[in-house]
Amino acid sequence: MSEVFDNSRAAGAGTGSMGAAVAAFPPHMLMMEEATRDGVPTFWVSRGQIRAVLQAVKAGGALRMLLDLTCVDERQRIHRDGLPASDFTVIYHIQSFDGPIDEVRFKVPLAADDANIASITDIWPNSNWLEREAWDLFGVVFEGHPHLSRILTPPTWVGHPLRKDHYARATERPPYTLSEDQVFDEQEALRFDPESWGMKRHSDNSDFMFLNLGPNHPSVHGVFRVVLQLEGEFIVDAVPDIGFHHRGAEKMAERQTWHSYIPYTDRIDYVGGVMNNFPYVMGVEKLAGITVPPRAQLIRIMLAEFFRISSHLVFYGTMVQDLGQLSPVFYIFTDRERVFEIIEKICGFRMHPAFFRIGGVAMDLPEGWDGEVRAFLDYLPKRLDEYNELVMKNPIFKARTKGVGVYNTEEAIDWGVTGPGLRATGLEWDYRRKAPYSGYDQIDFDIPTAVNGDCYDRAAVHIEEIRQSLRIIRYCLDNMPGGPYKAEHPLAVPPPKPRTMHDIETLIHHFVGVSWGPVIPQGEVRSCIEATKGLNQYYLVSDGGSMSYRTRIRTPSFIHLQQLPMLSRGTMIADLIAIIGSIDFVMADVDR
Amino acid sequence: MNIVLELYGLIAIGATALAITRTIPVHGLLYLVVSLLALACMFDELGAPFAAMLEIIVYAGAIIVLFVFVVMMINLGQPDQLREKGWFAGGAWIGPGVIAALLMGLLVYGTQRSTMAVGTAGTPIGPQQVGLTLYGPYILTVELSSFLLLAGLVSAYHIGRRIGGKS
Amino acid sequence: MMSIIWPILVIVVTVFGVLGVAAVSTMLERRLLGVFQDRPGPNRVGPFGLFQVIADAMKMLFKQDWIPPFADKPVFLIAPIIGFLAVLLCFGVVPITPIWSVAGNLNVGLLFIFGMLGLGVYSVVLAGWSSNNKYALLGGMRAAAQMISYEVFMGLSVMGVVMAAGSFSIRDIVDAQTNCWFIIPQFLGAVIFFLAGVAETHRLPFDFPEGENEIGAGFHTEYSGMKFGMFYLAEYAGVALSSALVTTLYLGGWHGPLLPPFLWFAIKVFLLICFYILLRAALPRPRYDQLMSFGWKVLLPLSLLNILVTGAVVLLRAGV
Repeated sequence: MSEVFDNSRAAGAGTGSMGAAVAAFPPHMLMMEEATRDGVPTFWVSRGQIRAVLQAVKAGGALRMLLDLTCVDERQRIHRDGLPASDFTVIYHIQSFDGPIDEVRFKVPLAADDANIASITDIWPNSNWLEREAWDLFGVVFEGHPHLSRILTPPTWVGHPLRKDHYARATERPPYTLSEDQVFDEQEALRFDPESWGMKRHSDNSDFMFLNLGPNHPSVHGVFRVVLQLEGEFIVDAVPDIGFHHRGAEKMAERQTWHSYIPYTDRIDYVGGVMNNFPYVMGVEKLAGITVPPRAQLIRIMLAEFFRISSHLVFYGTMVQDLGQLSPVFYIFTDRERVFEIIEKICGFRMHPAFFRIGGVAMDLPEGWDGEVRAFLDYLPKRLDEYNELVMKNPIFKARTKGVGVYNTEEAIDWGVTGPGLRATGLEWDYRRKAPYSGYDQIDFDIPTAVNGDCYDRAAVHIEEIRQSLRIIRYCLDNMPGGPYKAEHPLAVPPPKPRTMHDIETLIHHFVGVSWGPVIPQGEVRSCIEATKGLNQYYLVSDGGSMSYRTRIRTPSFIHLQQLPMLSRGTMIADLIAIIGSIDFVMADVDR
Repeated sequence: MNIVLELYGLIAIGATALAITRTIPVHGLLYLVVSLLALACMFDELGAPFAAMLEIIVYAGAIIVLFVFVVMMINLGQPDQLREKGWFAGGAWIGPGVIAALLMGLLVYGTQRSTMAVGTAGTPIGPQQVGLTLYGPYILTVELSSFLLLAGLVSAYHIGRRIGGKS
Repeated sequence: MMSIIWPILVIVVTVFGVLGVAAVSTMLERRLLGVFQDRPGPNRVGPFGLFQVIADAMKMLFKQDWIPPFADKPVFLIAPIIGFLAVLLCFGVVPITPIWSVAGNLNVGLLFIFGMLGLGVYSVVLAGWSSNNKYALLGGMRAAAQMISYEVFMGLSVMGVVMAAGSFSIRDIVDAQTNCWFIIPQFLGAVIFFLAGVAETHRLPFDFPEGENEIGAGFHTEYSGMKFGMFYLAEYAGVALSSALVTTLYLGGWHGPLLPPFLWFAIKVFLLICFYILLRAALPRPRYDQLMSFGWKVLLPLSLLNILVTGAVVLLRAGV
């Protein structure tokens, strides 16, 4: 199995990288180095040392981001030879945005009866929600956290859902009942108390007004609630409240086969479609050691870019709609309909095709696909020019968005902002270019950037990315290779059918793959892509079973939403709406 | 005797009384608007439509709206209503009442002695005449009040600016 | 006998005419928006969806007439009525044709309209206050500031017309345009008047009191059924009023060649209503404070300048 090591990444521990720098730390700071399947330098650190290590890593270079912070319940893990004893392992994933991709991972072992660790909210502000999430789902206490409370589950929830001893299905627990006392308790838990949200009721010369915006407000893009502390129409403070859309996607991954989880990923970022399949299947393929044939890779890229266009069109239309311009959203959704028509003709589905398979895609491109795609490539740029006149050059639109919701590159890195929101600050960093996956290295496209990092720039970057996606699609159209659309590999699911009736080996693989699902070799891997809204990373742990041991989904929306209070302080309600529109988040992507 | 005029007067008095006795400020202000409208109707009946319209535009349409605006801003609640009620219970109303009665007496005395003819059915005085009068015999008053308004404007601007800079 | 019946007839026809125009323009708006936005719009009820108006009216009439328990009941009830009545009363002084107007020759007609518009502000402000809802309150506060401010610019912009015509009577103003519509000498005033009209009727792009993307439905968040219907009708009657005023003050009212006076008036009003709808389809909403500073920093100096220039021209013509 070792031959499937991703060598380009394993070489990351060479000179100049963060991994090499960490390896050179004094020995008392590190417990050991672990070799992982994805080649990301991984170090075990005791909880007494983790703050010092992370501080040293952050101070070691510019633009280092806490990409992810999560936890694994290791109590039922079978294969963990040679690793430090741990019940709960807290994982920190740091990535540098200073040049080509450079990342490092730290693991901290914790015992179940003493699961607490120091908070790092003062080192990376975006660890705030990540730590709350880890506490909520695993019960790991982060000492020194300013507001350690439930974030995805309701405040009345009992237990920590991602622990292995927490039930996953309704049938594993007594039937649900709701007594009058429970109703009362739930209602009481909803009572708004500004102090518990860290807000004051009065200032020196006035009383504040608290406005509950959402969870069903026309402009919050789904079920998102933000409590505003207002002085007149000016926002003193804003506290987002999320979790209304939480479906336990990570828990579900632990009870679905590797293959049957694919449709769930579609619905994480529900305007991203197959873009969500992408990191997941790439991760599984890396674990299984499957090489995807070139045709499948380019089909994947093409579909992913179609979904990027579709998602950005939704962003464009809804943001403009939020600013009160009623018409563009109708035109833009008409264009999106054209995208869906093509996707439907290729995949048979419109929004959530679940088209990617472990080892390739579900089926080959239909006859005549190229004509459809070519017509669309000629159609959209003209429409975009029209919207440019209608929206981007509109003085009212400019007045509403320029200079509103500004952050610079350093702030973006501190808050974990990736994707168009990061590029709008002027940093030319695109995962497709800095760590090309699935064949993006062969495609020529530009990384659009802007300078001011305000709402207008974020919109402008999104729009330019649509044009770049069109370029990528044109490349796929002109250079689509022949050959199979799925890898000839025993673990590719569903397995190739033609030879099953001819040799017993293939028949067995087919039988196992279809009935139980494939058994993916033990190991762990992170798989990251430049998704529609930023970096979407799946961290998969296989314990050598037909189901995932732990699936961590790092979604851009969840991280991005966290900086809303910082952006909205001192602005007006109307600005908050523009900021919310420009952040480009989807609540399903936030809550998972 | 002009029945319509008397009726307007009665409405004005009644609405004013209600405006004073309401405990909810917005209700009181609404009665005040009614009272002002009744006054405007009286002006019109007396042959001064221009004054009547100005009464509606300036007092009912702008000043009282600002009062309502302020009441909305400070958002008075139940305790304030109780306090208002308390003021009616005690003898707090006696002082203002006596003074108002005195004023009323003087006004009646003054109008009785006045030799100016009040044209209840006289010819209506249009805006043109009002304008000519204002900028003819009363030009000094107009100029003085414009000074006053300008001073008020400047000071309002100044006050608003200072607080804005502080917060 | 005729002298009694004719005024009553005029009043009845005007009231129902205004109601009809308001109702039909809701339909017109939805169909036109459909055209502007590449979609059909309501087209299912009756031929071309024409009966949609009736269906909407029925729905509103038969909806539960709900008053939220936390609202201030009497004020909550009268707020929509005030707004509706104020707009209706304004139509009383608008001369539609030489022989058709309720009180078109009122010598302070224009001032009467401003007085009524001033009272119309109460409708929105009181609705916002009495609903006892924060979104409604924000809408009410926005409405108070916006409508009072824009009433000032509206009043000032129209003074040019008053000076040129030498009268506050709208009929005199229309008669003064027999040869030349005021939109030509008073173009600046006309533009300011129209903008202020959009703000007064709180229509997009100046629909801050409602501003659904920001404050839900603003001042009428808590309203439903026929009380909401009154706001709705008042809004469209306000659009019709604003169009009728622009027509009479700047576009020569009923004057025009060949066609009968009423048709000229109707055509002009219709086109202006369509323009209102086009505005709604085309423009985003500025921010609330941007609107206010635009008013006080741009429209106010411009309208004062307009008065100054017009006054100078009038004096020059009079040969003083």
